[in-house]
Amino acid sequence: MVEQTAAPIGRSYDCVVIGSGNGGLGAAAQLAAKGVKVLLVEQHNVPGGFASSFVRGRFEFETAMHLIADLGPPTNKGGVRKFLEDELEIYLDWVEIPEAFRLIVTDPGEELDVTLRYGVRDYIDTIEKAVPGSQESITNYIDLCMEVVDALTYLGESRGNPDRKVLTSKYGNFLKTAPYSVDRVANALKVPKKAQAIFHAPWVYLGPPTSRLSFTVFAGMMAKLIAFSGYIPRHRSHEFTSALEARIRQLGGETRFNTRVDQILVEDGRVAGVVTSRGERIATEHVVANLAPGLVYNHLISPASEVPEIAYRESNARRFAVSALTVYLGLDAPPEELGLHEYSYFVYANTDTDDVYESFGRLATPKGQATACLNNALPDASPPGTTILSLTTLYRPEAWADVRPQDYVKVKNESARGLIDDFEKATGTRIREHIEEVEVATPATYARYTGVHGGTIYGYEPDSWDSLIPRMMAMNEEKHIRGLEFSGGYAFRCHGYSSSFMSGQVAGLLTYASLAEEGR
Amino acid sequence: MKVRVRGSILDLLAFRGLPGKRSKRFARASAGLLPVHPVNELARQIHPSKLQLAVTGIRDETKTTRTFKLAPAPGSETRSLPCFRAGQYLSLKANVDGARISRPYSISSAPFEASAPDGFYEITLRRVEGGFYTDHIWRTWQVGTKVESSGPVGLFYHEPLRDSRKIVGLAGGSGVTPFRSMAREILFGDLDAELLLLYGSSDEEDIVFYDELGELERSSAGRVRVVHVLSCEVVSLEGCEKGFITAELIRRYASLESDSFFVCGPEMMYRFLEAELAKLELPRKRVRREVWGELTDVTRRPDFPSDAVGKTFRMKVKMQGVVSEIPARATETVLVAMERASLASPSLCRSGECGYCRSLLLGGEVFIAPESDDRRAADRKLGYIHPCSAYPLSDLEIETPGEA
Repeated sequence: MVEQTAAPIGRSYDCVVIGSGNGGLGAAAQLAAKGVKVLLVEQHNVPGGFASSFVRGRFEFETAMHLIADLGPPTNKGGVRKFLEDELEIYLDWVEIPEAFRLIVTDPGEELDVTLRYGVRDYIDTIEKAVPGSQESITNYIDLCMEVVDALTYLGESRGNPDRKVLTSKYGNFLKTAPYSVDRVANALKVPKKAQAIFHAPWVYLGPPTSRLSFTVFAGMMAKLIAFSGYIPRHRSHEFTSALEARIRQLGGETRFNTRVDQILVEDGRVAGVVTSRGERIATEHVVANLAPGLVYNHLISPASEVPEIAYRESNARRFAVSALTVYLGLDAPPEELGLHEYSYFVYANTDTDDVYESFGRLATPKGQATACLNNALPDASPPGTTILSLTTLYRPEAWADVRPQDYVKVKNESARGLIDDFEKATGTRIREHIEEVEVATPATYARYTGVHGGTIYGYEPDSWDSLIPRMMAMNEEKHIRGLEFSGGYAFRCHGYSSSFMSGQVAGLLTYASLAEEGR
Repeated sequence: MKVRVRGSILDLLAFRGLPGKRSKRFARASAGLLPVHPVNELARQIHPSKLQLAVTGIRDETKTTRTFKLAPAPGSETRSLPCFRAGQYLSLKANVDGARISRPYSISSAPFEASAPDGFYEITLRRVEGGFYTDHIWRTWQVGTKVESSGPVGLFYHEPLRDSRKIVGLAGGSGVTPFRSMAREILFGDLDAELLLLYGSSDEEDIVFYDELGELERSSAGRVRVVHVLSCEVVSLEGCEKGFITAELIRRYASLESDSFFVCGPEMMYRFLEAELAKLELPRKRVRREVWGELTDVTRRPDFPSDAVGKTFRMKVKMQGVVSEIPARATETVLVAMERASLASPSLCRSGECGYCRSLLLGGEVFIAPESDDRRAADRKLGYIHPCSAYPLSDLEIETPGEA
């Protein structure tokens, strides 16, 4: 009954992209747009990695995105919108989020409850109102963040070959702050502590405490948010990632799902092909790996003798970032009835980011959460009379190392219950009795669907020594295998929804440049 | 504005020193291999991609119902059984008469029995007249038969974050299986809940687990209660309700203000119960329904286009770069058509819910019943379907990823 005609399948490609997370999608799309014969291979059955969605009952939940920082309005396009619309011709229905965030700090003596809006003026005024006398330092702080973004834009445009003179004359402040943590720079600008607490509230989007978090990375995110505001796609991340996948195919690229790359074949220091979980050997001289270099060097490169010792040292020196636990709630009452008026909430026990970060290392409910009420950005995100609320906290992967399978449900539910309690107490809302659907994603969930090491969702931690600038300065030196590029949260732009996506564009362009050099 | 952190010169030196600082870190670091992280091991144990099981016992429950005990197949990669939540199911995979098929079956044993040293799962099946897979099982399964399965999956379980402590099970026929698991876990395992089971059967002889449920009830000190509801003319068993599980009957036994209702049974029972439950005006959050699998006869639906009945279409299937052309009957799902040709993508629920068989419809038209349409919004826009809940209405062309 079955008539089978073998389609003309190319068993050889100009480039194979491993993993369809944001970085892999960005890379494959960029390459396909340049006419490169590219194959994107994904082990799961949907694209996106962490950036996805899932359906429970009458709710469709966003898995990962709180907002995308680098999109901007059509009149003032950020990097992501330029890449999507101007290069890839992908036009999605983006929705601007209503306010920056509401910050609630709950410990006695440290209480804070401030709601900020994006936009330079609003930001400064709101912080001045909460912390009188902070206006000048915050104004300088924002100016500095903007300068960092300008410098990063310049670096991007110079394709990694900046003019040193321009850098020192125009972007001196960028250079001088690049080696430091957020705290050191904020203190140097004499930003009052309480104003720092407010300004730094989104630090959990990046992971490390502000005492270690690279100022450059933080400034880049904040300046983009304040200038461009935050956006989300109407139909969750799955709309974004599926549109990219569809576009890759339209542009002549190929995609394979339910297929894992088990080996990257290397001959004499250069990529020669890949072997998939279907036992298929595919010839290619270029690979973009949208995963941790540590995993690539330890598990994928074949033969292992092609991996230089320094590659192991490099990946061992770097610190895998945090994982997360998210409680997805479908509630059977509308947001206004529940007392939910904001889209984005940060709830912390206190303003000491070291203390909050340390709590990510223990199983007990951590001292911080980032919570999003989707309907306050997208009123029709769920049926009338219902609400989608997702509460996210971070965990060091090692906090979950001793969890036994038989205790798993209890452990995750305890943490979920704690997050819900903390949120209810902080906001004075009642959500417990309205839970119609609930799902809890843990570090094991992220590990299950993407294979990431320890469930890490934030790449390698962007400490000041391993942040964007040092990664960029060392980029050529740390290339050990010709034809192999990295994208995603582990790549030089560091993690973050837009950074990992845009890192794909860079990896795509670098691959394209080598193909051009090789005369293809 | 000129920013200084430690001093102009020091800051610039610090900038220049960044690569050096980085190299020093690398030089100090170990050159050892990266071990597998315990969290990845945990994920693998909870959600193995597949299980290799073997039948270790067979028990007749009624004339048409049989329980199969399953344990890790000796010598296989499966060494122990993953934990599960009472109410979840296994998706069994098999090659039958040239077709590669999958079928979901609720686990009728309790979670504590899987994690014990000689851990096992039990599934309890009713032999369906002319049932493709159950016929095969009755014919071929014996102690020692190897069975390929998914890990435990499904959303039909008591969730303390959401549900009341009191579960009201509304079961029909072999839909009692997940409730047996819950009852056993309440009494001997780890489920902190109470169960009131309203169990409908068409005949006394058809009641599955009659003796066992009675014993469980008697030893439960009120935590498990079973009420049999029999629709046959003559009832000899004591303490049974006659008729069907009606709104009136539910109202008499359950507390409508607080209990969580769980429904599992054949399609016909759902259709009946939906109307009864509607009368009770329960909030949605307190009624959970197990998916019932494929529709028994899609043509009986008033919204199914009558001109498609009896037709067989051609379907082009593109899988991993290979194109095949196969027949596809209007009265069978797209998944079944692919399974008949051994061309299916992984599937679990066969009810439209889980999305594991998600495929791209490149051309043609399909029928999808609104209540089994659990696609993501973007997937609807982009033309993806869940083949397990889509029926061909024309010649089709689809792209499907195939088994992992």
